[in-house]
Amino acid sequence: MAKTLESTELHEQTVVDSPWVCLVWNDPVNLMSYVSYVFRSYFGFSHEEADRRMLQVHNDGRAVVATGSREEMERHVEAMHDFGLWATLQKADA
Amino acid sequence: MTPFSKTDSGTIVAGFSAVEADIIGDLAAQIAGMLVDLAGSRDVDPLFDSVGIGGSSQLDDDPAIARLLPDAYGGDAEASRDFRQLTERGLARRKVTNAGIVIASLERGAGDVELDEQQAQAWLRTLADIRLTIAARLGIETDGDEGATEGDAATSLHDLYDWLAYVTESLIDALES
Repeated sequence: MAKTLESTELHEQTVVDSPWVCLVWNDPVNLMSYVSYVFRSYFGFSHEEADRRMLQVHNDGRAVVATGSREEMERHVEAMHDFGLWATLQKADA
Repeated sequence: MTPFSKTDSGTIVAGFSAVEADIIGDLAAQIAGMLVDLAGSRDVDPLFDSVGIGGSSQLDDDPAIARLLPDAYGGDAEASRDFRQLTERGLARRKVTNAGIVIASLERGAGDVELDEQQAQAWLRTLADIRLTIAARLGIETDGDEGATEGDAATSLHDLYDWLAYVTESLIDALES
């Protein structure tokens, strides 16, 4: 049988690495139809989900479009910049 | 312009007048011209160049370039700078390449274009880059903002900006049909 560890301090730090998010920000130039198309074609969102997030960008000024590791979010941000969308990444709890 | 549509073989076709084709070609060339230095060999270290490293260290002073190559990290200037140095050249290169694909597809026929999926994606991205650049020149910064409206030059730029939105909508419709 395994012994009970005397210290459990390391848990949260090592196991639950704080995830990162990719945000898309509102801009006055890109068409709503284009933003929704990018969300569908790149992230694979359904029509409904893509429109929901596009409207969130439009109404709230920004929306989280992906969550995950820093490297993944960097890739997504670069892909959004390829499309001309204004995207950034940051820690989820920032 | 004859709007974009999808053919039975899956290609995307549209017809442009000679004037329209010239305008799109010229604008694409301007995007490429604006970004070519940032896409190229600013410091010619062959190893860095071969892997695309060697971007600038901060957001460009030109608002159009700054919008096309924005900071990647929200509220973290240092991380943005590091990321820019690694990725800016690649991003600028892909934009120059996309513009080149647009120009090449317009040169093939007399105003008629036929695009495969990859070329259509290059068109979509270049149209976005062109509109972002025009908006930066007109000073359009927030929703509902019309930017500069005084003078014939601003009026024609506005017309062009709206027409390019129509071209983009048409291309999206065709891609999803």
